[in-house]
Amino acid sequence: MREFYGTKLSNALMLGTAQYPSPAILADAFKRSGAGVATVSLRRESGTDKAGQDFWAMIRELGVHVLPNTAGCHTVKEAVTTAQMAREVFGTPWIKLEVIGEEDTLHPDTFALVEAARILSEDGFQVFPYTTDDLVVAERLLRAGCEVLMPWGAPIGSGQGLNNVFGLRAMRAHFPETPLVVDAGLGLPSQAAQVMELGFDAVLLNTAVAKAGDPAAMAEAFSLAVSAGQLAAIADPMEPRDMAAPSTPVIGKAFLS
Amino acid sequence: MEYISIIGGGVAGLCIARALLDRGAKLRLFERGEGVGSHACSWWAGGMLAPYCENESAEEPVLRLGKESAHWWDKHTGLVQRNGTLVVSLERDHSDLRRFKRRTENFIDVGPDEIARLEPDLGDRFTKGLYFENEAHLSPRAALASLREKLVLDGVEFVHQEVDPAMIAADGLTIDCRGFAAKDALPDLRGVKGEMVILSSPDIELSRPVRLLHPRIPLYVVPRGDGIFMLGATMLESSTRSRISARSLLELLSAAYALNPAFGEAEILEIGVDSRPAFPDNLPRIQREGNLIHMNGLYRHGFLLAPAMARMVAELIFDNSIPEMMHEYFN
Amino acid sequence: MNISINGEQIDTSAETLTTLLEQNGYANATIATAVNSTFVSQGERENHLLKEGDQIEVLAPMQGG
Repeated sequence: MREFYGTKLSNALMLGTAQYPSPAILADAFKRSGAGVATVSLRRESGTDKAGQDFWAMIRELGVHVLPNTAGCHTVKEAVTTAQMAREVFGTPWIKLEVIGEEDTLHPDTFALVEAARILSEDGFQVFPYTTDDLVVAERLLRAGCEVLMPWGAPIGSGQGLNNVFGLRAMRAHFPETPLVVDAGLGLPSQAAQVMELGFDAVLLNTAVAKAGDPAAMAEAFSLAVSAGQLAAIADPMEPRDMAAPSTPVIGKAFLS
Repeated sequence: MEYISIIGGGVAGLCIARALLDRGAKLRLFERGEGVGSHACSWWAGGMLAPYCENESAEEPVLRLGKESAHWWDKHTGLVQRNGTLVVSLERDHSDLRRFKRRTENFIDVGPDEIARLEPDLGDRFTKGLYFENEAHLSPRAALASLREKLVLDGVEFVHQEVDPAMIAADGLTIDCRGFAAKDALPDLRGVKGEMVILSSPDIELSRPVRLLHPRIPLYVVPRGDGIFMLGATMLESSTRSRISARSLLELLSAAYALNPAFGEAEILEIGVDSRPAFPDNLPRIQREGNLIHMNGLYRHGFLLAPAMARMVAELIFDNSIPEMMHEYFN
Repeated sequence: MNISINGEQIDTSAETLTTLLEQNGYANATIATAVNSTFVSQGERENHLLKEGDQIEVLAPMQGG
């Protein structure tokens, strides 16, 4: 597996931490799946509110890599400032860079994304940009200093799966050395398996697990699917063909006429 | 017989007082605010007795124990309305309705005609819904006041004083029902902030709580009678017990408008916020250390679960049984 | 002087950002600060002098996807 800024992940599943029914279930989902990366965020907190401190203590106890995000940012300045604050709070140079361009689909503003990626990379951040399957944008992000790309599967939280398999396949082909993570829009483990079969390096999801009836079980299912897809990719799958080709040999069958 | 002391006069303390009184106990209840009022989290409750709907996101005991609530509140206050719950969603969120169906039971699917029959004032905005006939609702403030009044009449001594549970427990059996105020004694306890609004909209009539499903802001509207409606509620992981945010208010009011545009003309009577005490699994707990019993963590299920929890505390004290919600680990 | 913390106006006697945070209950919390939309790191807070009308953001960890 390709490394993420020098870090090897033993489990290619990354999980978000939002919208779980309870903290206990969130912890359970991480334990059952073995996911090695948790995305986290920042928000305003008053001096007397300890919710953020409690949450952070719980995440540290899980012993996972932390990937802070710049959720809710719409401009370069917002994203950069949020990233700087996140680096200090969470003590990591990793940042999932999100710059939103359109509210309904949460479509990235790819222009601002590239600009923010450049500024942050120059400042020593290790950027994980949440982007589309646009190859030109991807090229610009790499040129801006990103060493990882996170193209979407479908709009955030939609659970639609992979809306543009061709686009993802093209990305894998165009950037053979770059670690690629599909982030957003996955709904089912089979979709995660498909992502890994395409040769991607990890999947990141939140809603598909948090909003499942049994999030811990679903997290485990995703983890199994990711492993299955990874193994399949290594095992060099057969090529599809148009005509049937019997697997049972026909030579030596007696003619009965 | 010795006095049993109860600390806290919210839904937890009052229900436990009733349950213990009915077992013949002599009671003294300490409350730091006088009477039932806005200092208590229960003051801001929705008053929905909805075990089936809550089961969508809650653990199993909430459904099973919650079924005791309607009968209990009716018996002790006579203020329960049994008109069920109507669950709807906007057309674009019908997937949320499908998901809700999979997670719940004891409902029927309803189409536009039945919805119009059940709630004419929802117009024809909703083509699909779920009707949970066996759910109920009450007005929380009236119910708490009624419960308290009867406790006073039945001889419970109410003391308006903030006390230290450890000191009271030194003198006898004490039950700490202080909700989030007991956080220092219960390290696992966290607050889940809830913001709500009370509106006056005499042009609209609803007979039952209506839940509007939405991926981000699920909302409910509870009719309180006389054109008064309670709109709730956000769920933010935060222990802040004051300060509603403009964003939350906007989301609540937008959702109300989606239910019926006439809510846009409503008069805002109150804006409320408090923090619901909750344990990591969002289930309530009974914990005991010698003379001091804690009952806490009712989360968003105060009116729904306080009766069952009160029953269990009584069983613990009088029957020496280990109740289901007894939590062994303590400190 | 009048400043705002997380959108709330307050009157403070604190001169530096560090003092302001201590006075408002943030003493040992895991937080990050920005003044007028510009990041001020932990090391810089002690030397950061507050001005009338400053808008301070104090952010803490939270759930995210």
